[in-house]
Amino acid sequence: MNLASFGREAGRAAAALVIALIVAYVVVLVTSQDPGAAFTTLLTAPLSSNRTLGLWVDDIAKLTLTGLAFSLVFQARQFSMGVQGQVYVGGLFAALVAISPMGATPIAIPLSMLAAMAAGAAYGFIPGYAKARFGASEIVSSLMLNYIAIRVVNYLVRAHLAPPGTGQLMTEPFPPTAVFPAIIPGTRFDLGIVIALVSVVIVWFVLYRTSWGLKLRLVGHNPKFAEYSGIRASAIMVSAMTASGAIGGLLGAVFVQGRAFGKLAIDFDGNLAFEGILIAIVARSRPLAVPFVALFYGYLRQGAQLMGIRTDVPTEMISVVQAVIILLVASSFTVPGRKALARLLRRDEAPAGAAAGVAQK
Amino acid sequence: MIELLMTVFSATFFATVIRTATPLIFATLGGLISDLSGALNVALEGMMLIAALTAVIVSVYAPWYVAVLSGVLAGALLGALMAFFHLRMKADIILVGFAVNILAAGGTVFALSQATGGDKGTSINLTSKAVPAVDFPFLEPIPVVGPTLDRLLSGHSILSWLAALTVFAVWYFLYRTPHGLWLRGVGEYPAAPEAAGIPVNKVRALSLVASGALAGIGGAQLAMFNYIGFTRDMTAGRGFIALGAVLLGARHPVGAMLAALLFGVFEALSIVMPNLFNWIPGELIQTIPFAVTILALILFSYRSQRARQLKTLSKI
Repeated sequence: MNLASFGREAGRAAAALVIALIVAYVVVLVTSQDPGAAFTTLLTAPLSSNRTLGLWVDDIAKLTLTGLAFSLVFQARQFSMGVQGQVYVGGLFAALVAISPMGATPIAIPLSMLAAMAAGAAYGFIPGYAKARFGASEIVSSLMLNYIAIRVVNYLVRAHLAPPGTGQLMTEPFPPTAVFPAIIPGTRFDLGIVIALVSVVIVWFVLYRTSWGLKLRLVGHNPKFAEYSGIRASAIMVSAMTASGAIGGLLGAVFVQGRAFGKLAIDFDGNLAFEGILIAIVARSRPLAVPFVALFYGYLRQGAQLMGIRTDVPTEMISVVQAVIILLVASSFTVPGRKALARLLRRDEAPAGAAAGVAQK
Repeated sequence: MIELLMTVFSATFFATVIRTATPLIFATLGGLISDLSGALNVALEGMMLIAALTAVIVSVYAPWYVAVLSGVLAGALLGALMAFFHLRMKADIILVGFAVNILAAGGTVFALSQATGGDKGTSINLTSKAVPAVDFPFLEPIPVVGPTLDRLLSGHSILSWLAALTVFAVWYFLYRTPHGLWLRGVGEYPAAPEAAGIPVNKVRALSLVASGALAGIGGAQLAMFNYIGFTRDMTAGRGFIALGAVLLGARHPVGAMLAALLFGVFEALSIVMPNLFNWIPGELIQTIPFAVTILALILFSYRSQRARQLKTLSKI
């Protein structure tokens, strides 16, 4: 992507964000007793303490991973929506390693991450295989698998993994060897963000510097052309969904082993997995753009959480912002006023503008 | 096992199937119409959810039919929103659909807490109304079959009867009217109707609006008959199951109805099974409709793929 189109995309995203925030402001204005306080909380609360900063960084790590998982399948033009299910099976397998005797050994963290990635990959493979082999729509099957994974994991936690007789809906805390070490003590600033950033580089490298990545992007651009040039499109498709599943599974491990949890609880993902759709769309499925989008969006997400806690506006208000951003960024919407501005400039210096136009071509 | 069979072949189970299948039939028909016009509507889930909440809130202040209509209107408006962003703003229809779903998942909780004064879970403290059930007391006196007929046909939501009628109406519209031909043509090969002067985008936009309206009735039935009142995420994947039912029903209205009934049977099973088998955990029983959807989708896709392959083979 060259600099000009990068600037245009960033401008579009920023304009979409501003419009979404204006819509949010109107909604807050209509519904809140104290709209000023609510909106200020939304925009400034994540910076208010070390703790909230840590929450923000934690969200960036998780949003980056889910954004990567969605970007990978979107690049192959597969609308596999199974990241949530992969997060749950990944979290389950990471937890199984962590509460087993291996959890108390120094290899607990790498081993549980591997287990989570393998489980997520297997879960991502199913809709891919069903599509390649049988032609079953990956949208429907991956969504169904999400519901199944959530219910099965919730059942296992409730009935088998929680300490018996307590009625708790979570496992015992993992041994300290199985929980990510904190990078800044006392906050949630832990290994998760490092894992997320390393994953960004790996996904970028694989997509743009390997032949598999080239094939994947070709299949995404034009599957027929890819087939004619000898690429087995269905094999690429399945492998893309499997790789994306591995990232989803890894996110599961980051969830349960992060300092925020350190145990497996029911319904642990808090619907974060699905927000990867927004991250991937705004980042245009570019791995290197994903962490930056996650940075901004994570801030907004934390602001909304704190707004829900501290003011009378519920956190869920943020879904309005999410929807507006997706609608605007996914559409052919351009930065408002750009056309008018261009027209004005052209009228003022028509000959110069025309000359410049020729020169550009 | 015998208890299960006894339950399955009882009139109450039949009523449960009809009740659970009705929202699915409406949503599936909605999905079918937009799918045939060439726009995959993944927002059925969100449309149903928003329509359900709209219907519940309106029913506090107005008669039930006004509430149902408001649900329909909410769905239709969402369809128009999707049409605007997909057709005018050239956004991908699947992304637009998920934007609607995200808006619905959070927006309904937000609106619910506004309407109930802070309750984010259910509308339990709103006095919402129900869609009336239809009874046929005159069937009872018929000799021999009377009581059975009465038990099978009475007590269903008035919207269930509307669902059956709608299946026929959609079939008639799609296959017996010129506009239905337009719609199918637009989905099949848009260049041809375009050349014939048919307003392709207008047809697609209206299909999305109709799709939303049908999903809206489904949502209203869900929150005003199946359950009385709104619970967060109460659609619980029904919109996505309906999407599967469109494919499973071979993209035909009658097939869509049969597929929706099939999923209704399994949902009804997941409702009655906890009482019969209390040793099977509830969470696992709840996965039945989703697992069945995947299996049915794979089986059906495999069969239609085979049929396509055989067709091309016979041509050679």
